[in-house]
Amino acid sequence: MNFMLEVKNISKSFFRKEALSEISLRVNKGEIFGLLGPNGAGKTTLIRVINRIVEQDSGSIRFDGDLMTENHLSQIGYLPEERGLYKNMTVEGHAVFLGKLRGLSRKDAHIKVDYWFDRFGINDWRKKRIEELSKGMAQKVQFICAVLHEPKFLILDEPFSGFDPINVDLIKQELIEMRAAGKTVMLSTHNMKSVEEICDRAVLIHNSKKIAEGTISELQNARKTGLYAVRFRGSMIAFVNALWTGFEVHDKDILGDDRFIVRVKMRGDSSFEDLLKVLIGQVKIEAAWEVLPTMDNIFIDLVQPKESE
Amino acid sequence: MRNSMLIAIRELKERIGSRSFLLFSTLGPLIVLGFVYLMFAFGGQSKQHWNVLVADPTGIMENKMMVNDDKSISYAFANDYIEMEEFADAKKYQLYDALLEVNEKVLSNKVGFVFFRESPSIRMQTRVQYQFERRLEELMVKEFTSLSLKDFRKIKQPLSVNFRDVYDPYNESSDLSGWVGMFYGGVIFTFIFLFGITIMRSVSREKSNRIVEVLLASVSPNQLMIGKIVGVGLSALLQFVVWVVVIGVGLYFMRETLFPDMLNAANMNIHDLTLQVDSQSYQDTAFASREYNQFVELVYNRVQFVNMTVFFMLFFISGYLFYGALFAAVGATMGSESDGQQFVIPLIVLLCLALYGGYYSLNYPESPMVDVLHYLPFTSPVVVMVKLAQGYYGPGHVYEIYLSLLALISSACLMLGLASRLYKNGILQFGHRVRLKHIFKWLKKS
Repeated sequence: MNFMLEVKNISKSFFRKEALSEISLRVNKGEIFGLLGPNGAGKTTLIRVINRIVEQDSGSIRFDGDLMTENHLSQIGYLPEERGLYKNMTVEGHAVFLGKLRGLSRKDAHIKVDYWFDRFGINDWRKKRIEELSKGMAQKVQFICAVLHEPKFLILDEPFSGFDPINVDLIKQELIEMRAAGKTVMLSTHNMKSVEEICDRAVLIHNSKKIAEGTISELQNARKTGLYAVRFRGSMIAFVNALWTGFEVHDKDILGDDRFIVRVKMRGDSSFEDLLKVLIGQVKIEAAWEVLPTMDNIFIDLVQPKESE
Repeated sequence: MRNSMLIAIRELKERIGSRSFLLFSTLGPLIVLGFVYLMFAFGGQSKQHWNVLVADPTGIMENKMMVNDDKSISYAFANDYIEMEEFADAKKYQLYDALLEVNEKVLSNKVGFVFFRESPSIRMQTRVQYQFERRLEELMVKEFTSLSLKDFRKIKQPLSVNFRDVYDPYNESSDLSGWVGMFYGGVIFTFIFLFGITIMRSVSREKSNRIVEVLLASVSPNQLMIGKIVGVGLSALLQFVVWVVVIGVGLYFMRETLFPDMLNAANMNIHDLTLQVDSQSYQDTAFASREYNQFVELVYNRVQFVNMTVFFMLFFISGYLFYGALFAAVGATMGSESDGQQFVIPLIVLLCLALYGGYYSLNYPESPMVDVLHYLPFTSPVVVMVKLAQGYYGPGHVYEIYLSLLALISSACLMLGLASRLYKNGILQFGHRVRLKHIFKWLKKS
């Protein structure tokens, strides 16, 4: 069994409002899995169901091959979107308290706290009260609290919100290292760039239903437009003349200094190799690539039409 | 269980570390002690001198009492029957503090009654009883025996003298003992209310700062609620222990320094005292003690602190669980922290009703309404304390206190069950308007 988490036909309603409708998904072991969707799609409800914070109306969840029970919670790390801390506790006291709640002994909790505080360079904050921390500092503490007990499966709901780019990068690197160490991560975020960068697979939920699932490249390939882009130095006229009848210029960006990026659409049986052949010698090609939709594009493409319906 | 304990310990540490806890733990008992001292010092000194009217219709006493004069008591004699009501109300008797009723068979039945207007001190009671008994002994020796008075005293039987309030001969109305119960009940409800509000605010604060979601990913709502109630309850108990120790030490200190005669064990039991008083020197020693007011006697002699404290703890813990669950449920159903303000008012009304229940039972301990309030979980802790202090749970009534405790514990379990449903379903709802239909729906959901 290669699944860390298997969600099967989960439905949940609140006061007749459907929050999740027959949601099924699988998260493989050792991958970073993106949970995407617009606000109010049902992502947080799904995460709460997985964490057994709310109970599903129907459906089942298997964790590491077994039907999920309360005992599995100690193997899960959770950083909720709307996260809080006890303001009058010290940073160290808070981390140790949450570590113990997740099953660590007092001694182990202190050892882990030492490790993570060293790793994040926040040893000076130990005795500070939470209320003395800035938002970014508090976010770091919250992240440490979520991973302190070294869970097999980490669920992060909007982990990058409130962080500056340096700390976003720090968290990304941590997640990549966790994946390398065999941990599984479920990442719910609106930061599509991060999804493209670090997620292996993703699911998109909209209006309480699953509307897409797959690897990032599968999702991109499913929505590619057949466009290819070429960045070159030279004359735009020479470029257009070289294309002849097998290709069509879709649009262009002028970079200045006789440099351009032109997106080209294939006609008939023309291929990427044919395009490169006709251009070589006419212009100085700097780079050429297939234009794939960004996760932003995919997100908008999947969500927006349905909103206008 | 482990998680509930972790939550409880965290709550306990937070409470103990707060300034209000330290302030309430130190100033609270000191204020009570100060209040007690003021009552001791100025709270209606018992009369130093008593005018006693002896109603002796058959002239048994021969218009005489003890040979040696006692300056603290003056006796007057009336060779007529005087009804208690007449003595209480008639103008001509108002200058007398007490009526000593000598029935015609007193030499054989050895029973006398003293009706007083104002509760006498134990020493004053002892003097009257002692002097009355001595006079009777003289008469008995003269009437029935050829023994000397000294020999007679060796074989004598004790005389029973009953002291009764002329305005309340059957001791039905409120008395100081009852007020002690009221004080205990008041302390229960003060603690329950203060710490109940603490639970409610703590729950709503966790909701509003969203830490609750982090906690719920590790503990179940029930564990969280129980942990919170237990943790806050432990801090309440700790504070209570501090109160008991400070007040206990304070009372002991007062007894040692300000009211030292209370240490004399012989002063504790009126009958023992009368039997032991054989010599004039002992009598002088015992009676030379300063007269204390009724509050001093109440605190040091009449209140059964051990019994009261045991039941106080039982009813405090059960009542706290009952109300604590209610407060936790209210905190969990609130949409925002500010909602708490509107919930506090009905809870204060509930508290006032409970205290009024105690006051009502103080005045009408036998009324059917009190029987109901005695078993209602909202009022039983204070009503039981009042009745316990009044000495209601004598033979034949003891089961009632346990029945009331059982009813309270059952209600606390039921309330915990209902509160856990509200807590589970309401704790993650933010910013909503609290509606009854939501509450009913949450109650229905398991």
